[in-house]
Amino acid sequence: MKKRGRGMACMWYPIGFTVAANPSSAVVKLDEDGTATLLTGTVETGQGSLTILAQIVAQELGISTDDVNVVSADTDSTPMDTGAIASRTTYVTGNAARLAAEKVKLMLFDVVAPLLNVKPNQLEAKDHRIVVKGFPQRNMHIGDAANHARTVTGEPPIGSASFNPATVALDPETGQGKPFGTYVYATQIAEVEVDDETGDVEVLRIVASHDCGTPINPMLVEGQVEGGISMGVGFALQEEILFNANGVQINPNLTNYIMPTSLDMPEVEVDIVDNYDPSGPFGAKGVGEPTLVPTAACILNAIYNAVGVRITSLPATAEKVFNAIQAKRNAEPKQITA
Amino acid sequence: MDKTVDKNPKVAEKVSPAETILKEPGILREPVAAPLVTYPIEVVIPKARQQTPAVGQRATRLDGRLHGLGQTGYIDDMTFPGMLYAKIRRAGVASARIKSIDTKEAEAMPGVMAVLTGKDVPNNSFGPSIKDQPVLAYERVFHAGDGVVAIAAVTEQIAAEACEKVKIEYELFTPVLDPLESLKLETPGVHAPSANIYQKKFIKKGDIEKGFAMSDHIVEGHFTTQMVEHVPLEPHATIAMWDANGRLTVYSTLGRITLGRADLASTLGIPISRVRIVATIVGGNFGGKNEITTEPVLALLSKKTGRPVKSVFTRPDEFIASTTRHPLIMDYKTGVTKDGRIQARKLRLVLDGGAYCSWSETTLSKACILSAGPYNIENLYAEAYVVYTNKTMTGAMRGFGAPQVCFAYESHMDDIATLLNMDPLDIRLINAFHEGSISPTGQKLQSVVVKESLLRAAERFGWNGKGSTAGGSKVLPKEITSGTTVRV
Repeated sequence: MKKRGRGMACMWYPIGFTVAANPSSAVVKLDEDGTATLLTGTVETGQGSLTILAQIVAQELGISTDDVNVVSADTDSTPMDTGAIASRTTYVTGNAARLAAEKVKLMLFDVVAPLLNVKPNQLEAKDHRIVVKGFPQRNMHIGDAANHARTVTGEPPIGSASFNPATVALDPETGQGKPFGTYVYATQIAEVEVDDETGDVEVLRIVASHDCGTPINPMLVEGQVEGGISMGVGFALQEEILFNANGVQINPNLTNYIMPTSLDMPEVEVDIVDNYDPSGPFGAKGVGEPTLVPTAACILNAIYNAVGVRITSLPATAEKVFNAIQAKRNAEPKQITA
Repeated sequence: MDKTVDKNPKVAEKVSPAETILKEPGILREPVAAPLVTYPIEVVIPKARQQTPAVGQRATRLDGRLHGLGQTGYIDDMTFPGMLYAKIRRAGVASARIKSIDTKEAEAMPGVMAVLTGKDVPNNSFGPSIKDQPVLAYERVFHAGDGVVAIAAVTEQIAAEACEKVKIEYELFTPVLDPLESLKLETPGVHAPSANIYQKKFIKKGDIEKGFAMSDHIVEGHFTTQMVEHVPLEPHATIAMWDANGRLTVYSTLGRITLGRADLASTLGIPISRVRIVATIVGGNFGGKNEITTEPVLALLSKKTGRPVKSVFTRPDEFIASTTRHPLIMDYKTGVTKDGRIQARKLRLVLDGGAYCSWSETTLSKACILSAGPYNIENLYAEAYVVYTNKTMTGAMRGFGAPQVCFAYESHMDDIATLLNMDPLDIRLINAFHEGSISPTGQKLQSVVVKESLLRAAERFGWNGKGSTAGGSKVLPKEITSGTTVRV
């Protein structure tokens, strides 16, 4: 018989490296038509991080995402970056990119202020223009400002900056210290169906409520959550590298190492928890790794809820679940019929 | 590698590579370049990419159109004039001393241009925190995926065939495979004289004994997790080439080019400024591409031959020769009051570190720091060890130990809820961090929303109290929720 169950798991996860410095640098240049180029040493690994960085630079300069060209991942032409690791790109590289763009913006304010008869601190960058705060009709197009900087004052707008999360080393005896700049939080709840005759588990649905600070791009947050859950389903139920007695892998191929496919994916409902972290770029933190952290835990709790067996070793393969159900039945007192 | 091709006797005959290609046009993997296709350049730019303010927009990705049209250039799509292909012969034994390597027959094969072994590598060790990993095995083999001989040839098939012709004699040792065995002092050192426990972490907070004394119930749990692979769609791929000024350019699937360049320069014994690394759009990383793998091997083969050299991992290479996720053995003991407040928690984590350190240090730290869960626990003692075994190296993988400890602390939490006959949501809300909570390492936490995420997920899911149903779930009989638990 197929039995349904539900289970939850919550988690916390840090952004960036444990204590160790993990800086990022960035360079931003603005051209005379008001479009920008970002140079970054991070690498796009499929998660959309370069788009996120473009959005951050665009936000700081008051231009659109499409106005920012991103040059990345060449040690000859891009500045130092600790790389696409530890869910750090939005937070650490994003902060560096924002700071570099801010320098460009402040250069433009210095150029534009005398032209609009105001002080630089009375200006803001908004909707492709440098605008006097409170007097939107007094403005200059950001491209004209950049052109003026280049051809009249002789200061082409370019800025570079670095960022490294603030940490304090851990005491080796007690582990006390401040290992990370910030953390994110999440809860996932799974509904599963367990066949108690075969032990087969199907994950029907997962609701995932994730904190990432400000979602710079909600669509890319959703993509990360869906990808993380697919990895979590494999970790919970299927994937395992097996060794023979001599320490040699016996299933190093995708025929015998079972990965979840689209057919194994549950319905995923992504919920982004409202939050703002003052240390992140525009309040953003990150979301890459945390998306998979609670998945196996909530699925295993749902299996327990469905059939009353606690699987304590991953993965919860059909064989393992079946054996546990059998063991539980054998342990229960026999019902004697009248 | 296609085995049927590999064993084709015709390929093994002494014929020139050109003749082989002519005779067997279908079987050879010829250089692949992206097909010449033209597309209209008038691109429709989605509105979300054009709007201001930019933050918060559902902007489509810069690379989305290229992916959609199949125009993204991955390393396997790239080719250079005169480019060679490299293959690596792997040990296939978990622990051994290399008695001899005979490469004569391989070198004599037509089309084979260079053969490389561990003794040819200028500085044959690297690693992100402990430099314990050889580029190619030298004298000793520490796990079955260790590369022993690398061969560059005019085709991938000839390189693979030549690898099979290398004769290697081993003196086999009993491998250390069980991390709990490795933990024991009497177990022979995998990297003797270095100890098998190569990193330790401790967290001590409050008074653990006092906490247990204040508790109404003590709950224990033992949990284990398995080794898994990242399985990126694009396997590790590299092309290395030198220019006439002695400057090296490497196209690589590395996710961390700054570190990769420094490690590569160090293994080759050349200044960092002579190395350029270009990372293409990477087809999935998940932590598996955070350190160099074949880059030094290809650089040296390219130097020997004066030609560009490419290597693309096969799927088996990806499993046996790249990093994997740490298996964990986790023991939890928690003291709780009858109303569900956690008073004390004691736990131990043992990480199977595999043959080399790789990113074990940061995995150990994160696992240990996160191991108590997002809960206010005044009295905590956590100890964590990572040990060497003669298994595939474990390293960075999405979550750095967190999915493993989350499985343990959240299964344990539900066990506690079951014992106290509490709703899993309620026990979490009672204990969860709040704004300003002090973490196990004594850090004051900011922007904490764990309770909000619990409540929002519960509302969205339709979680309505203990033993209730969601989406037509079966109501659990009381005796199961609070009764026998079978442990596997």
